Amino acid sequence: MSIYLKNIIRFVFILLIQVLILNKITLQWWSQPTGFPVFIPYIYPLFILLLPFETPVAAMLLIGFVCGLSVDAFMNTAGMHAFATILIAYFRINVLNALLPKNISDYSGQTPSVTNMGWIPFVIYVSFLIVMHHATFFTIELWSLSNIGYLLLKILASSATAVLFVLAYVLLFTNQRGSERQRIV
Amino acid sequence: MRNFILFIRRFSNLLLFLLLEVICIVLIGRTNTMQGNDIMSSANYTLASMYEQRDDMAYYFALRRMNDSLMNENLRLRQQLTAYRQVDTLTDSTGKVVTYNKDSQRVVKYADYVYHSAKVINNTVGAVNNFITINRGEADGVKKDMAVVSASGAVGRIIHTSKHYASAISILSKKQQVSARLKDGTVGHVIWKGQRPDELTMRDVPEQIKVKKGDSVFTTEFSFFPPDVLIGVIYKIETVKSKNLKILHLRTATNFRRIQYVYVVENKMAEERLQLEAQNK
Repeated sequence: MSIYLKNIIRFVFILLIQVLILNKITLQWWSQPTGFPVFIPYIYPLFILLLPFETPVAAMLLIGFVCGLSVDAFMNTAGMHAFATILIAYFRINVLNALLPKNISDYSGQTPSVTNMGWIPFVIYVSFLIVMHHATFFTIELWSLSNIGYLLLKILASSATAVLFVLAYVLLFTNQRGSERQRIV
Repeated sequence: MRNFILFIRRFSNLLLFLLLEVICIVLIGRTNTMQGNDIMSSANYTLASMYEQRDDMAYYFALRRMNDSLMNENLRLRQQLTAYRQVDTLTDSTGKVVTYNKDSQRVVKYADYVYHSAKVINNTVGAVNNFITINRGEADGVKKDMAVVSASGAVGRIIHTSKHYASAISILSKKQQVSARLKDGTVGHVIWKGQRPDELTMRDVPEQIKVKKGDSVFTTEFSFFPPDVLIGVIYKIETVKSKNLKILHLRTATNFRRIQYVYVVENKMAEERLQLEAQNK
């Protein structure tokens, strides 16, 4: 399967999971009366995180813009998701450079995954960018720092849940044997 | 010039990044003025029909709950109806319905409001500004700024419409203040603090006003809502001694997590009233 087709299918699939399932499940920790605010984990940044290593930054920015805007259209929040997504699309390469042992050009034709990055760098990569995305998004959405504890709690809970979902996705959809063969070759 | 081109080539990514972010900020700014951009909303045909399909799937699981809510609404309406049909059984031997048409004390009231029923195909409660998408649009007479109420209470206001769908901003949003009235006539504003989908707050109520837990809070004619729609019920009263004010915490009358059917309320007099009010400015 060509890399373009694969990514388009992944984009649609992740978007559908996000919009049709996750947006409907508003999670809530603890119950009344010191209840915790409801929150939604956003896993669609995973699509940006799983683009091939060599994607040029300009292309990544445009893809991030389109991806963010499509989520925005569903959520009636024109621009907010797009803003956060473009931000992580821009900083992805810096995070990758910092975490990868080899130069990024050595990974031609591969996408970031557990098998070629290792568990710990991959989790750091995912959680750093997802926390960045959630922090930006929730700050823009709330647009006031008067209730900063609430904002921080929301960011923390939401991104922790999102990272869990992302790891579940990665465990489900990584072809372990296939990638091992790729590594030997 | 050459330096300029070199500069652009060197920082092209950064410039593109900044350009896209600026576009996003403009988009955010436009929606925050409540005018909104109509393309970017879930009233859009493609998105709404997708939501509708998802909703169809979940529809059967909620039938029992819906039955209950319809029964309750029927009961409530029947009780209201008896109020209009009260007959003095002691003196009236025929048991005929008493009409008040000839009563000189009759209050003149126009039938201002027309109700359109609609099914909720998508709703959110987790965001700072929450939206509801319904399956009625311009073709069914739904227009911008109409009120949306549920069987049990106030819901929100229509902000985007397409041919067959519309999206409404619910009272669970920071952009939306609702004019509210206590039982004794005190008028104030109900706001949502943005944290829990079943809590509303009514602030700046003078301290001398007597309220109790369990009192109802209704909408007023001042807003886009029809008057006397239940907004919520007081469950906690907080007194700010330094300002001589009370803060009332309300439970929403509508359960926003499980909202399924709503009524879009068309105000026949709205246009005339808005024109008149525009002249005052």
